[in-house]
Amino acid sequence: MDNAVFVGLSHQMILRREMEIIANNIANMDTTGFKVESMMQRTEPAAPAMTLGGPRPVKFVAADGVARDFGQGVLTKTGATFDMAIEGKGFFQVQSPDGPRFTRDGRFTVDPTGRLVTQAGLPVLDEGGGEIQIDMERGEVAIGPDGTMSQGNERVGKVGVFEFATPGALEKAGDNLFRNTSNLAANPSLEARVRQGHIEGSNVRPVLEITRMVEVSRAYERTARMMDSESELSRRAVERLGKVQ
Amino acid sequence: MQALRTAATGMAAQQLNVEVISNNIANMNTVAFKRQRAEFQDLLYQTLAAAGTQSSDQGTIVPTGVQIGAGVKAGAVYRVGMQGSLTRTDNPYDLAIDGRGFFQVLTPSGEIAFTRAGNFSVNDQGQLVTQDGYQIEPAITIPADAIQVSVSKSGQVEVIQAGQTAPNVVGVIELATFVNEGGLSAMGGNLFRETAASGAPTNGTPGSVGIGTLTQGYTEASNVDAVAEITALIVAQRAYEMNSKVISTADDMLATANQVKT
Repeated sequence: MDNAVFVGLSHQMILRREMEIIANNIANMDTTGFKVESMMQRTEPAAPAMTLGGPRPVKFVAADGVARDFGQGVLTKTGATFDMAIEGKGFFQVQSPDGPRFTRDGRFTVDPTGRLVTQAGLPVLDEGGGEIQIDMERGEVAIGPDGTMSQGNERVGKVGVFEFATPGALEKAGDNLFRNTSNLAANPSLEARVRQGHIEGSNVRPVLEITRMVEVSRAYERTARMMDSESELSRRAVERLGKVQ
Repeated sequence: MQALRTAATGMAAQQLNVEVISNNIANMNTVAFKRQRAEFQDLLYQTLAAAGTQSSDQGTIVPTGVQIGAGVKAGAVYRVGMQGSLTRTDNPYDLAIDGRGFFQVLTPSGEIAFTRAGNFSVNDQGQLVTQDGYQIEPAITIPADAIQVSVSKSGQVEVIQAGQTAPNVVGVIELATFVNEGGLSAMGGNLFRETAASGAPTNGTPGSVGIGTLTQGYTEASNVDAVAEITALIVAQRAYEMNSKVISTADDMLATANQVKT
């Protein structure tokens, strides 16, 4: 009898989480290199309920995972020398105090010691995992589509772009960084193109998010109404059965 | 409900964005102004189910986890160092830098400040000063009887004095460059101060390797693109609205929860 309320409750809990994910997507619609997320649900079978027509399956709603859409975000021209955007699959690798991190946020700069770093000061790594040194006295820096950096006609380094067979296994670490918690190998990306003077916007489509938000809010109400009528039903049952004829 | 707080971070971020954009628009006609950009980063994630954890003894792993983000924060407001276009003024004391570098200016406190605004004047002692009367470093003094002043691309200041035909060199303007120009801190009045992030200045004559050249009779316009700024303003406003919509929807959901009959 109480199954309906608990099934409804499991649905509402998931809807609330989904709402939180949508809120995070919308809050980050202007975040460089942000990848949109959505909630995946699955049904969780429970012990069957006994009804007049025999046992009937009861299924709860459970969170199955957060799907991340690694689709390309819009490239915006900034004209800054060390702004880089990746076109296609792949990530830049940066060295954080807690180990390597991956990012598609290519707003880099040069620190006073001449290292190529992120806005937070984390060194950007080249293909071999080493830091990149730039001597600003040697003139303008040009970055080729494969990440090769040159000053004049001299090669000074190469920004590494890495890809994963299943990028879904990466975990978000905040600050536009991804953490590799699985034991997947990061391979140099062959297809990705580095675009100098551009940054990649987020791939959040606000209209889609708002539509999903309306859906979630309505589904939440619907479930609440279902639970309402369920409790109304048990109230009436108690009333009627309790009456002495 | 987390969604309320998440949306609030989104609104705060867009508010900062509007502030930065409005400062850019206000400084559209400021000499050598470099436009700024607010950049955002996502906040920490709460991991409810970690990806990559073992789901059985057989070594199968959970392919995707459940992570819920807490919103957005302003990562940096950085200055876009792109060259502004050169505007002709015909004033002999207007100098524009084409390429990298900053003029050095001696502030009243004795500190050296840096600027790209080359709209200079001459004070009562014939010294080359900014519009605020701060001397440029190294000091350049124009003789009172100078008829013509010319500044070469490499910073040599030459004057022709009354009764003479050959020009006299009265000084050389030096420019300072930084490893990380974005790390300079703005002091207002078109001036910048060196910081630990910018590194120490390197002085050199204009036109040497890695340093821009001077153009006399021109000033550098701001690099603000009015159309781009207005477009950014519209986008920021809509984003603000969407975040407020999230707040009202989350509020509706909470109201629904409160109305469930017991």
